[in-house]
Amino acid sequence: MTTVFILISLVFGAYLVAVIEDWALTGRFRLTAPVFSALALLGRESVLPRKLDRVFFEVAPVLLLLSAVLAVAVVPLSPDLIITDLATGALFINAALVYVLVALLMAGWGPDGAYAMIGGWRFLGQLIAYAMLIVMPLTAVVMRAESMLTTEIVVSQAGLWNIVYQPVGFVLFFIAAMALAFLPPFDLPTSKGDLAGGVEAEYSGVRLAVFRLGRLVLIITLAAATVIFYLGGWQGPWLPPWAWSAIKILVVTAVMLLGGRMLPRIREAHLLSWCWIFGIPLALLNIFLVGVLVLVFP
Amino acid sequence: MITGARLGTLTGFRRLIASAMSHDLNVFLVPGPDIARAQGLDIESSGLQPVASPRHANVLLVMGPVTPALQEATAVIYAQMVRPRSLFVLGAQDLSSLPAADVEAELSQQGLIEGVNRLRRVFSESAFRPSISDFDVPILQIRIEYTCSMHPEIVQDEPGSCPRCGMFLIPREVQSMAEHRHMNHQKINTDAEIPVTFTHNHGDHQHDASMEYTCPMHPDVVQNEPGSCPRCGMNLEPRESQTESDHDHHHMDHADQGNMNMDHDDMGFMSMIDVTKDLPRSEDGLPMEWIDAPFGPFFPGLPGGLLLLLTLDGDAVARSETHCLSENTELVQSPSMEPPNFIERLTCVNPLSPIAYRLLACRALEHAAGIDISAETARARIGALERERIASHLGWLALFAQQTGFDWLMRRAASLQLKFLTAEFQQIKVLKPSVLALIKRLQQTPLLKSRTANIGQLMADIVSYGPVARAAGIDNDARNDDKICVALGFTAVKQIRNDVLARLQVRLDEITHTLMLIEAADAVVVPVSNTVGKISSSGEARVETPRGMAHLQLTLENGQVMTAQLDAPSTYHLNLINPMIDQQELGDALMAVNSLDLSPWEVLQ
Amino acid sequence: MTPLEQYGLLLGMLVGTIGLILCLYALARQVGKNHSEPGKDVPATSGQLSRDPVWVRYHARYYGYALLFLSFDMEMAFMYPWAIVYKQVGLVALLDMGVFLAILFLGLLYGWSQGALRRQ
Repeated sequence: MTTVFILISLVFGAYLVAVIEDWALTGRFRLTAPVFSALALLGRESVLPRKLDRVFFEVAPVLLLLSAVLAVAVVPLSPDLIITDLATGALFINAALVYVLVALLMAGWGPDGAYAMIGGWRFLGQLIAYAMLIVMPLTAVVMRAESMLTTEIVVSQAGLWNIVYQPVGFVLFFIAAMALAFLPPFDLPTSKGDLAGGVEAEYSGVRLAVFRLGRLVLIITLAAATVIFYLGGWQGPWLPPWAWSAIKILVVTAVMLLGGRMLPRIREAHLLSWCWIFGIPLALLNIFLVGVLVLVFP
Repeated sequence: MITGARLGTLTGFRRLIASAMSHDLNVFLVPGPDIARAQGLDIESSGLQPVASPRHANVLLVMGPVTPALQEATAVIYAQMVRPRSLFVLGAQDLSSLPAADVEAELSQQGLIEGVNRLRRVFSESAFRPSISDFDVPILQIRIEYTCSMHPEIVQDEPGSCPRCGMFLIPREVQSMAEHRHMNHQKINTDAEIPVTFTHNHGDHQHDASMEYTCPMHPDVVQNEPGSCPRCGMNLEPRESQTESDHDHHHMDHADQGNMNMDHDDMGFMSMIDVTKDLPRSEDGLPMEWIDAPFGPFFPGLPGGLLLLLTLDGDAVARSETHCLSENTELVQSPSMEPPNFIERLTCVNPLSPIAYRLLACRALEHAAGIDISAETARARIGALERERIASHLGWLALFAQQTGFDWLMRRAASLQLKFLTAEFQQIKVLKPSVLALIKRLQQTPLLKSRTANIGQLMADIVSYGPVARAAGIDNDARNDDKICVALGFTAVKQIRNDVLARLQVRLDEITHTLMLIEAADAVVVPVSNTVGKISSSGEARVETPRGMAHLQLTLENGQVMTAQLDAPSTYHLNLINPMIDQQELGDALMAVNSLDLSPWEVLQ
Repeated sequence: MTPLEQYGLLLGMLVGTIGLILCLYALARQVGKNHSEPGKDVPATSGQLSRDPVWVRYHARYYGYALLFLSFDMEMAFMYPWAIVYKQVGLVALLDMGVFLAILFLGLLYGWSQGALRRQ
């Protein structure tokens, strides 16, 4: 039952993310736009490019949705609202989200088109930049909680949220999460200006609908991950726990979607060099600092 | 009634979908969003959502001038849209290669809004039809030709075996129409286990090709009859000579290196170094294969009408070729034109800066007729020219922001541009603070400097005009010679570093400076022509358009305009593209091309 | 729930999602079939038909970063279990892993000095 409840709230959350993104894109708040757009996509042709790699082309949008859904499975909305409380929760989120790369590479290679191909390989470069910056801050979080259970991680923040305890880790994780979800300014694989849609361009009709749904679920999954790792999960006064979770997740989503549009798209060369020359040493420093803090203040 | 409907009867679930589609109209703009804004159309506020790929669009909006070359590209875009699709034409055009327009409206914002309402009704009524017909035009046809992978010059129309080496010919798809705009180079075929080359110029089959004979090991040895190479003694191989056609095909020196010698009888062991010996190498020494990709003419990040054929090595540009598919032909329709008609013609040449060209035509005619205009009229005309300069720079900012994914700037610059296009003098004063706020906020954007510095650098000794030249410190502004402009307080805005950041800075500073000029000019009046008597003489004029100095020379005979020659800055700037984007990453290359602020419409044949 | 039951639930969720997607595909197929026309299935390249294959070796420029990424990823595999028992073990754990991280960090510095950390 919790599974069904969480999946339904996931779908509703994806709808809200679509509304927020539409607001960020057009400046107007239209509640019915995602519904119309989904119905319209159902009714359009879904063209297969000639000389395509059928397996890759078909699997890519499905895999994007599946990896995001798998990652949601270990996210707790309240102490007893979690689909599977895996003992390796924090690690499992990272493992599931790696398949986003596989999905985008497949989507890039499948249609045998120049724009998609470049978009796909660019995302691999992006992964090499952000992957370490997701894992290292997570290690610091696990160090404080002494366990990888996501519920334990939230409970460990009862005194002080991790955003205050490990601010450097929060900043790095937030940036890396935006890069994982290929949101602007990290939208290298699906950029409109550079690649006319890139990886997303060759999909149409119902396959495009699945791709976009996968992307929305991915955004909300990453926002949920940020909330449970750094913002204290369901903790808060007066309101019930799931309400706090929902509010925090929506706030983080809004910041991700609206804040990113204030910057020009980052160059891949810069993303890689800044992440590796500044990001990794900062993450290592973060681990060291958290290690000292954990020992000094038990 | 839309011709691009889907097959089906409009019942039940399909009716729901059709009405959902009528609320979700995604539009692909032809020739481009920059032209839409320059003509005063606010696409987003009319309910249409612009998209980047034709597969996501269900409306093809054609506005503005569409030359025959662009018509073919529009037909290709229409063919690549998924059904149900519709064609929405603003302004009267003859579009012979497209089906009949589903909705037609006049070229204005009211026409657009009213057309969108009609389009919604049409969609919900006829998105699904019981019978549909294919959309088929000659440009989409393909035919199969058979070629030998070892001897790419052997081409036949039926399968068989190669007369020179006996291998089976492999099929290859080419466009059945002669495609002049294909890159003229040799590409590596990856199917064979040993890399071989085959020529890529299908179009040359229709040209006259004279055979030359060259040595595969020494590509600089070229003879006109068969024989053996004086250096190594091998048999010379035939190769079609690359004739210079009217489009600027580059004769790639590199193409010669790829001509591998595969006629060795002893195909013994070849190490990877030998095998990849003649593959194209990049700067870091790795031999990789290159891909051809066209960027344009309707690429969302580039000016509409500009075709960039890029050969990409990974994501860096290895070679590039530029074409302007929106080229205009003759300025003066034969045999001669009345002066008012000529002024109108010149106004329509460049939809991105019509007032500057109108002023150019008026001044040239007045110079030919010896008419003097009052200082007040001259000041008002300068006010109009400068207002258009601001609008053009804002439009460039919007296109630049669209290419770099900077949404906030795109929306602000686009809305300000639309207001400036038709602003009266008092309104300009009201808009001034918002423009200055935009510039200030833009200059404080965190990552902008790192994104744009040292990209798109040009040599200092190249021919350029306008903001591109001023960014390098060269001052060839035509307004320096205009006494009235100087009297109003004009000084040229210059920068030193010749890169994208400098060009951006020049244009921002010019906007600020121009606002001051307009206030000093104290009036904004679009130039109107004076009557020219029945005289015969020649005249010329120079005007600083937003992109650079344009120079018009015309001859009058008996009061009619006989000939006219236009020298526009974009013609020179086209030549700057190739050296500027060589070996640059794709995103940087596109940004550099954008920083030149090209207008493919003012490039004349 | 035992771990096996948990993974079973996850597998069931995956299968359910795939089933939902297939239902969507079937629904879209019910609305109408694709109508194949000339030129529609060529990859969209903004107005020019480009039938050239692009399945070639792509010259990725980030291979310097990729090699370093491999080594750091192997390190992270060791750090997860270490992070769980860290507080229990105490200072010794910090020193042990500190040495390991310091060696890797020196490797990063060496790579930087040799020019691996740039666009090739």
